[in-house]
Amino acid sequence: MSEAILAAEVPGTDTTVPGTSGARQFWRRLRTQRAALVAAAVVALLVLVALAAPLLTALEGQDPTTYHPSLIDSARGGVPIGTLGGISGEHWLGVEPQTGRDLFARLVYGARVSLGVALAATVIQVALGVTVGVAAALGNRWVDQILSRVTEIIVALPLMIMALALLAIVPPGFPRPVLVSLVIGLVAWGGIAKITRAHALGLKNLDYVSAARLSGWSGFHIARRELLPGLAAPVITYAALAAPVNIAIEAALSFLGVGIKPPTPSWGQMLSSADVWYQAAPQYLLLPSGALFVTVLALTLLGDGVRTALDPRAASRLRVGTGRRAERAADRADGASGDRTAASGARTGASGDREEAGA
Amino acid sequence: MRQPSLTTRRVAAATVGLVVAAGAAACGPKDSDAKASGGDAAPHRGGTLTVLNANPQSDFDPARLYTSGGGNVPSLVFRTLTTRNRANGAAGAKVVPDLATDTGRPSKDATVWTYTLKKGLKFEDGTPITSADIKYGIERSFAPELSGGAPYLRDWLTGAADYQGPYKDKKGLSAIGTPDARTLVFHLNKPEGEFPYLATQTQFAPVPKAKDDGTKYEEHPVSSGPYKVVSNQNDGERIILARNPHWSAATDTQRKAYPDRIDVRSGLDSSVINQRLSASQGADAASVTTDTNLGPAELARVTGDKNLASRVGTGHFGYTDYIAFNPKVKPFDNPKVREAIAYAVDRSSVVNAAGGSALAEPATTFLPDQKSFGHTPYDPFPAGTSGDPAKAKALLARAGYKNGLTVTLTHSNSKDFETSPEIATAIQDALKKAGITVRLQGLESNDYSDTTQSVKSEPGFFLAHWGADWPSGGPFLAPIFDGRQIVKDGANFNSAQLNDPSVNDEIDAINKLTDLKAAAARWGALDKKIGEQALTVPLFHPVYKRLYGKDIRNVVISDWTGVLDISQVAVK
Repeated sequence: MSEAILAAEVPGTDTTVPGTSGARQFWRRLRTQRAALVAAAVVALLVLVALAAPLLTALEGQDPTTYHPSLIDSARGGVPIGTLGGISGEHWLGVEPQTGRDLFARLVYGARVSLGVALAATVIQVALGVTVGVAAALGNRWVDQILSRVTEIIVALPLMIMALALLAIVPPGFPRPVLVSLVIGLVAWGGIAKITRAHALGLKNLDYVSAARLSGWSGFHIARRELLPGLAAPVITYAALAAPVNIAIEAALSFLGVGIKPPTPSWGQMLSSADVWYQAAPQYLLLPSGALFVTVLALTLLGDGVRTALDPRAASRLRVGTGRRAERAADRADGASGDRTAASGARTGASGDREEAGA
Repeated sequence: MRQPSLTTRRVAAATVGLVVAAGAAACGPKDSDAKASGGDAAPHRGGTLTVLNANPQSDFDPARLYTSGGGNVPSLVFRTLTTRNRANGAAGAKVVPDLATDTGRPSKDATVWTYTLKKGLKFEDGTPITSADIKYGIERSFAPELSGGAPYLRDWLTGAADYQGPYKDKKGLSAIGTPDARTLVFHLNKPEGEFPYLATQTQFAPVPKAKDDGTKYEEHPVSSGPYKVVSNQNDGERIILARNPHWSAATDTQRKAYPDRIDVRSGLDSSVINQRLSASQGADAASVTTDTNLGPAELARVTGDKNLASRVGTGHFGYTDYIAFNPKVKPFDNPKVREAIAYAVDRSSVVNAAGGSALAEPATTFLPDQKSFGHTPYDPFPAGTSGDPAKAKALLARAGYKNGLTVTLTHSNSKDFETSPEIATAIQDALKKAGITVRLQGLESNDYSDTTQSVKSEPGFFLAHWGADWPSGGPFLAPIFDGRQIVKDGANFNSAQLNDPSVNDEIDAINKLTDLKAAAARWGALDKKIGEQALTVPLFHPVYKRLYGKDIRNVVISDWTGVLDISQVAVK
């Protein structure tokens, strides 16, 4: 949200992102979407669990890597002994077949990997994509041509295959979560670059940007002070929707054995060894897949809510026939700033649509 | 020896078989032993047996098949000079006569082998099988367009190294003499006491020259066995076999050939095969598989169900999964480091990772745990069932790694429970207790075999496995430890790149022995001697568990193949 804060400092940029009152309005619009609120709560809980993983496992008295051969039935393929995969006071979610490692500990430590990698990869994507997109919009014809073609190549590259190739050639000593974040970030920034460029091109021709250019400001200065605040809405929206995709990519890479390396637990890796156990030890498969499902769904719903809250047209649609007249009336009373946002938002939205159609 | 890939070898071995035990009356039904069939009366003749397989029976040409003991499906169609004894367990690891009257008469130094064909042998069209047909079949396997078989014939036969097959070189191989229609004489360039084992491979099947149409021969090879090919679709994806009327049980004591038809369907997913066999509905009730084992999770499910558990065949194939070191890579040049790892390994957790005690037996010897290999129990680095980290730490300290060390273990990402991440993680966990930090490097399975089997790219510490072409010490130890078998540009299996004259000389000396029992004892002693150098850390010998349909009777599983022998199976 640093862009939004920036927007508040710079007068005249409130045509796209409203100032302080706009942030308040954003929250108000987000609040009207119950699904997004529940999703936000779930995401907050997941983040908390991930941060507190060492505490939680200490509370349980387990750790994610210790083998417990006595808890599995070696003669029967290593299936956990006991009901529901060996659930007990000591092992809250049972143990892993063939190793006896504690599943609760592996699951909560896996949350760190999933969320951490997704966050880092999203940050890299946003940083790269915004830089390239703004540079293309502000640069001369050649810079734009070259950067746009590079972006198109990146968009056209099959993401999984690129990631597999990159991950396979890096020496095993490189810290794996960092590497996976880098790889996902480096191969999946094309979409955000295209959207940024399209929005920036629209903003570039507005009077206040022309004024800045005429007063001799440098390209960097224009980008930072005049364009970035205006790009906040589409970029935040895109990032919010990219995060759950990144989680799924990390899981897929780990599932294929090129992502996070053992013994660091990750949900994708757990799924990979659990898929054959769906009949003999169903909880082993259900835990990581359920965790992934909930996380991706919550992040997607939250992202969708953010998009709706930032898109004035969608926001105004929200108010139709929802039966919350009082609230809506209150919002309307909020005044002119809202209408202004709607107008400029429509412009931004239109260029975004064009971009999507082109992609 | 320069075999294509171990996976292929394993498949080849898995597709082995069909012989009937000589004392077949004894191999019987009703027995709590899972190997036995559970039938009551004499096996029923007739019906259709379905084989559900993952891997297609591609290149169904006796010149091109790479088999151990003649293969399972191939052996229904191709008879060979000798074959494996179709009997349960250790008795099945013996080599017995097939087309020949005996397993071969060696000259004194085992460089000349003479065979006499049985009387009354016929092809599927009724023409008699002669020694010239067998010679021609062997010659074809040298043709570049019919490649795929084992390299032994080229290595062993005198003057065969550059032979290009009968299409280019009409004169044929002078190393094989056919003094009359029933006699074959093989001249070898060095003593090979194990020649009778080699004569079980499909290259020793007769091929009538008049019917040979080169690469197209595989579509309808001329049968010498109890079944002939009715159709072969998509290069072995579906093969239908029916009775060969000219085959006579009087000349074949090994193959029982109870069903009238055999329908081989391949290209199926392994979980689908196991699901169909456990459901056992319709035609699947009379089904078997020759290449799909029960995995750990499937075993857990099957053992929980009495009906299913009674339909599991258990087999032991001569096979070892081990840690391979490349002593050219530091720190594995230091024997103390290798020994420390040998002490630190926790075989119980490795066995669990491989599928538990029912699917893997812990190994301390490189040779498989079977008499025919000459297995001599030894354990130079006794680590108990769960490793001895204290001893490993002490060794590391002496090697100059007081504060532990960090190494990279290369493994494959295939889900084979052999070289896969589960095994690597178990080793990683055990070595951690000895102060060794293990980083894992996982490679895609093709990349994995290319990388580990090339002298140039071979990592220092990786997971490997080896299966024998026949149940004897020779093909088990020589490719891995014979210095003259280091392949500089190509698939190399001598991972330690050991070239020790005393080992090489002993291998030569044992190859001279024609008394296979005496040879076995010396292979065992050689294994022990090499084992003390810690060039490998044997981990486990896999056990094969396979489901079969509820109408299947007369299940025979030999220690040669570890797989139920199709030639023995009867359909209710």
